[in-house]
Amino acid sequence: MELGFIAIGAALAIGIAAACAAIGIGIASAKAFEATARQPEMAGKIQQLLFTAIVFIEATAIYALVVSLLLIFVFK
Amino acid sequence: MLLSLAENYIVELLRALNERFVEEIKVGDIGEGIKEAISSHEFAGIDISGFHFSITHTVISMWLAMILIAALAFWMSRRFEEIPRGRQIISEGFVDLMMNLCKGQHMTEDQAYKVAPFVGSMGVFICISNCFSVFKISPPSKDPVFPITLALFTIVYVIFTGIRLVGIKGFWKSLTYPKAALLPFRVLDYFIKPISLSLRLFGNIFGAFILMEFIYIIVPFIVPGVLGIWFDLADGILQGAVFAYLSVVYIGEIIEGAHSKA
Repeated sequence: MELGFIAIGAALAIGIAAACAAIGIGIASAKAFEATARQPEMAGKIQQLLFTAIVFIEATAIYALVVSLLLIFVFK
Repeated sequence: MLLSLAENYIVELLRALNERFVEEIKVGDIGEGIKEAISSHEFAGIDISGFHFSITHTVISMWLAMILIAALAFWMSRRFEEIPRGRQIISEGFVDLMMNLCKGQHMTEDQAYKVAPFVGSMGVFICISNCFSVFKISPPSKDPVFPITLALFTIVYVIFTGIRLVGIKGFWKSLTYPKAALLPFRVLDYFIKPISLSLRLFGNIFGAFILMEFIYIIVPFIVPGVLGIWFDLADGILQGAVFAYLSVVYIGEIIEGAHSKA
């Protein structure tokens, strides 16, 4: 395959996934801060839930990173 | 006088940087350097009845981490006193942290006491082996074999511990608790969990490792030391903590499902 197409593919893969994961983490944290402001006594529980959610959202970006690294180092 | 000296120095530095960027480093060199860094060299191999066990960088750094942790554990648990001080505070604090993490996920004191040792040692092993990249020793997680092994091991442990803590009936209930129709998805979940665990660890560490190699090649002074604090130390410790936390969450899910009323 042509090297240029692979480079564009890798860049698109990580770029789109990172943008979407950033939006997802932004929404999740915004809601968590709102909830904490409304019920400050639940802060510990909310923080734990937010941490779990962020770990799972971040995983999607990491999958894209693995895919783009595979594209760069394996398919060429 | 002093100002002009400083100006001269800055101009010299910029010129040196410029030479390094434009004249010495070519795109091909960077690619070659990174490829050299991520390839795993085989030091020795043993053939046992058809299977080839190769000893690579990964295995060597794993052994190093194991020796380090064994020495640390030996040293941290010597001569305990009734009133903790010094290193005893750290070791007791760590045990307390693991117990609280387990108790936060629907576990009783007794159950947390059974789960905490495995999860804690897994977390410490991953944290310490990830931090190796600060000293330019390649971290074992950069090789996909290491995270996959740990994740498979962990998921088997999660299933068996779930059965041990709540019994086979409770485990079945956790698989089917609101409706029996959810069973295939719950079973599928146990195949997705190890993939997610291993890819998360591998992707994070491998990505950070390649980024750091890239920075080492283009700017080999000051900058890698500063960025390494985040990409090597903080990220590595965070990923170890996430691995331990997620395995506790998975066990907690089984216990929660077994005790649900439905």
